[in-house]
Amino acid sequence: MDMQEIPTTDEIRDFVRPHQVHRRAYADPEVFKLEMERIFGRMWIYLAHESQVKEPGAFFRTRLAQYEVLVTRHTDGEIYVLHNRCPHRGARMCMVDKGKSQLLNCPYHAWSFRPDGTLSTVPHKQSYPESFDMADPINHMQRVKHVQTYRGFIFATLNEDPAPLLEQLGEMTDIIDNLNDRAPEGEVELSESSFTLEYKGNWKLHLENAADIFHPTFVHSSSVGAARRAPQNASKIDSDQTRVMLEANGFGVQQWEGIQLKGLANGHTYMSNFYSKGVMVDSDEDPVMAEYKQQLVAAYGKEKTIETLSVDRFNNIIYPNMVLNAQHQQMRITIPLSHDRTLVRVQCFRLKGAPDAMYHRAVRFLSTLASPASMIFSDDVEMLERVQVGLDRDDSPWVDFSRGLDIDQTDDTGAVSGVASEMPMRVQFKAWVEMMTREAA
Amino acid sequence: MLDMTPQSRVEAFLFKEARLLDTGDFAAWLELYAPEGVYWMPSQPGQTDPLNVASIIYEDYPILSIRVQRLFEARALVLTPMPSTTHMLSNIEVEEGDDGIVRANCTFLCIQYQSSEQKTFAGRQSFELEPVGDSYRILLKRVDLVNAGGTLPLITIPF
Repeated sequence: MDMQEIPTTDEIRDFVRPHQVHRRAYADPEVFKLEMERIFGRMWIYLAHESQVKEPGAFFRTRLAQYEVLVTRHTDGEIYVLHNRCPHRGARMCMVDKGKSQLLNCPYHAWSFRPDGTLSTVPHKQSYPESFDMADPINHMQRVKHVQTYRGFIFATLNEDPAPLLEQLGEMTDIIDNLNDRAPEGEVELSESSFTLEYKGNWKLHLENAADIFHPTFVHSSSVGAARRAPQNASKIDSDQTRVMLEANGFGVQQWEGIQLKGLANGHTYMSNFYSKGVMVDSDEDPVMAEYKQQLVAAYGKEKTIETLSVDRFNNIIYPNMVLNAQHQQMRITIPLSHDRTLVRVQCFRLKGAPDAMYHRAVRFLSTLASPASMIFSDDVEMLERVQVGLDRDDSPWVDFSRGLDIDQTDDTGAVSGVASEMPMRVQFKAWVEMMTREAA
Repeated sequence: MLDMTPQSRVEAFLFKEARLLDTGDFAAWLELYAPEGVYWMPSQPGQTDPLNVASIIYEDYPILSIRVQRLFEARALVLTPMPSTTHMLSNIEVEEGDDGIVRANCTFLCIQYQSSEQKTFAGRQSFELEPVGDSYRILLKRVDLVNAGGTLPLITIPF
């Protein structure tokens, strides 16, 4: 097969069957280029959280499609997204992941820019021709035109004429609301520390894995087994959190059939009734949780507190790049680098106004799940890489996603429910085809 | 046993720790730690806080023992095949405190080989050691990677 041809719209449609996906969706660099143009280049993409750019001049470096961008806070409080490139000679400007500066300076010829991207000064201005206009946007750091924030979460799109952000997010705003509602002060802050892992595999593999309830039993059996044999409450530093968390991945039929899967429009999915044990679960016996609940009741009243804490949704996947866990105060971001290289940035949230111990637990959860030395995610990464190795070969072109196909239930809004199903992957690929074949606006 | 100065006694202890990791004797490695001993690998350069800032590893003996158990699990995917390692220590400095605790720090280099791929890790280790007989138990081991804060490869065998 010639992998160099750009696939046509019809070919892309043919890559996705009701129960199968063609390996070119993962293994073809030309498909990846189209994904950058039509998914990451046209949809609203989560970039950063407002708490990362609190003060005027604060900036955070990340990627939007194939571009490196800076999310900045201007002196007037507005948030901007700028291409990390000097308009003078094209040099990459910012070389750090975050910081604060009232001016962004290009080290080459010392053009300097304000946090909104406008040109502030150029050295020896008198040698420029009369036609050189400091106010001309061509001499500014290039802005991403459309930037919007939803309850602290900053999204941007390269689409010139995008659909409304809220339309794309659909019902998934519920889980962003729920995360904020879990904070006694109604706001969250993103942790300063985070982990960034790179795996040698396609970006979609991470999202599929995050929606896959069958793999934990097998992929995580080594840590489940070790945790099961370890004594309870032995650690003096973590209230048994690590052991319980490792043990919780030992799924059986009860979890496979008990975890409710939900698939929505635009590729969003989530699961309910996931972890039911451990310090992150609502319990009156735990003094930290009890204190926290009192604070919530004081802020919102009892009824609302019960409603907020009863939302038991895990791995809320906001397609195409966010995995949000409100209950566990966690977030993972998928950042595609090439068809076979992906970054996963993993962070946790501080619930403003909640006891410090709640945040310490979120930090512990983050380390246990996603540190490079994690006894959980390291095995996931290993598996994603082995899948990519297999898909890069030509042997057999189809990947199977048929589990649950005959038993999923679709309601009149188009939402799909299922248990013991690979429905979330089918929902992701349904959106993938729609986005990949949509005519440009 | 040769007559040893406190410096060389600590060096011998650290070399033994490195050897137990290289030979895969993780059970014996774990027993070098005091029951309340902690292994800490910060995620950030100069990190001082293990509670509010995530760590690559922040584990006391009971959690470390789960980690060691996992190293023996045949089904640990990321440990298949088992990596082989060379741990090298250098620039060892030792200080005896008035509190009886021996503090040591050194640089390290660790080569890990698995499935035709070789990885290099480097950084600094610091120890708080409690003297027991003519040897020690580890109260605290801190590992600062030279690339802490960056995008890191998976870490399987401890350093």
